[in-house]
Amino acid sequence: MTAPERAASRIDIRAFACPMTWVKTRIALERLAEGETLEVWLRAGEPLESVPRSAEEDGHRVLAVEPLPAEGDGAYRLLLEKRRPGDAPVLP
Amino acid sequence: MSLSDDRIARWARQLLVPGFGEEAQERLLGARVRVVGIDAVASAALVYLVQAGVGRLWLDDPEDVSPADLAGWLFPPSAVGTSRVDAARSALAPLSAFVQVDRYPTGGVPTAALVCAPSVVQAVTSAEAARRAGIPHVVVEPDGDGGAVVSVPRGAPCYSCARSTAGAGRPPEPGVAALAALGAAELIHLMAQPGSVTGRRVELVRGVATARPTARLAGCACAGAQPAEA
Repeated sequence: MTAPERAASRIDIRAFACPMTWVKTRIALERLAEGETLEVWLRAGEPLESVPRSAEEDGHRVLAVEPLPAEGDGAYRLLLEKRRPGDAPVLP
Repeated sequence: MSLSDDRIARWARQLLVPGFGEEAQERLLGARVRVVGIDAVASAALVYLVQAGVGRLWLDDPEDVSPADLAGWLFPPSAVGTSRVDAARSALAPLSAFVQVDRYPTGGVPTAALVCAPSVVQAVTSAEAARRAGIPHVVVEPDGDGGAVVSVPRGAPCYSCARSTAGAGRPPEPGVAALAALGAAELIHLMAQPGSVTGRRVELVRGVATARPTARLAGCACAGAQPAEA
């Protein structure tokens, strides 16, 4: 699958720690229409591990995870697609 | 309107609850809740409403703190003999910088009500006032360390249709805090997710909660036209 270059919205959560990283992402997803995409700039480590996982558990799709070299070491770009009707959350 | 970062941080865990979210939190922040009766029974409910981020609490109680009120979570021993409203405001203020707690203002127009009145007559009167005002409300009926809460969303069968017919319950015991917390949780649902909660009566017996939908009594006035939305 090819990830779209431009997302409907973008947030930078590199300054935040858990649980704010996922809370900010979830709120940003709430503001989108179903099927729209959200670009998230985040740090390597715990955010990069937990935010995509939480998004998938909530029924959203992870379209891309890639480094952001222009933003320095440890910066990543996560592209999410807001879940559509029928995309059920994955309950742990 | 969107939540500021300090508010998101304050309610971060709550915002992750399935079915909750930013819009629900904003509804709570915009709410004005009249709390009728703030004795030991209401104490835990007040703490929960403040912690949940209800924007404005209006306390309606003319009495002073009695020694029996110390069984709740709110009043320190030094508050005995002082106004319940003043003592509750002092106790609740440190819990959140985002919630305003005041005495119920004459002519105030609440958007929801929590009734913890000390008598059946007061509970019925307060609940009926809320119904006529067209606002969602919850009535707490203590009975020993349990009791019941009756949730009345707009248009649902009224409290008089759903209240206990056995009269006043046993005097409340310290464990009644669980009932008050349940009452606060019901009211938060009614305010944060209107339309998602139907009228119901939740009995709490020995720590076990059992819910059943409320039904309108034949001939009750609440079957008539609904008042305009508050």
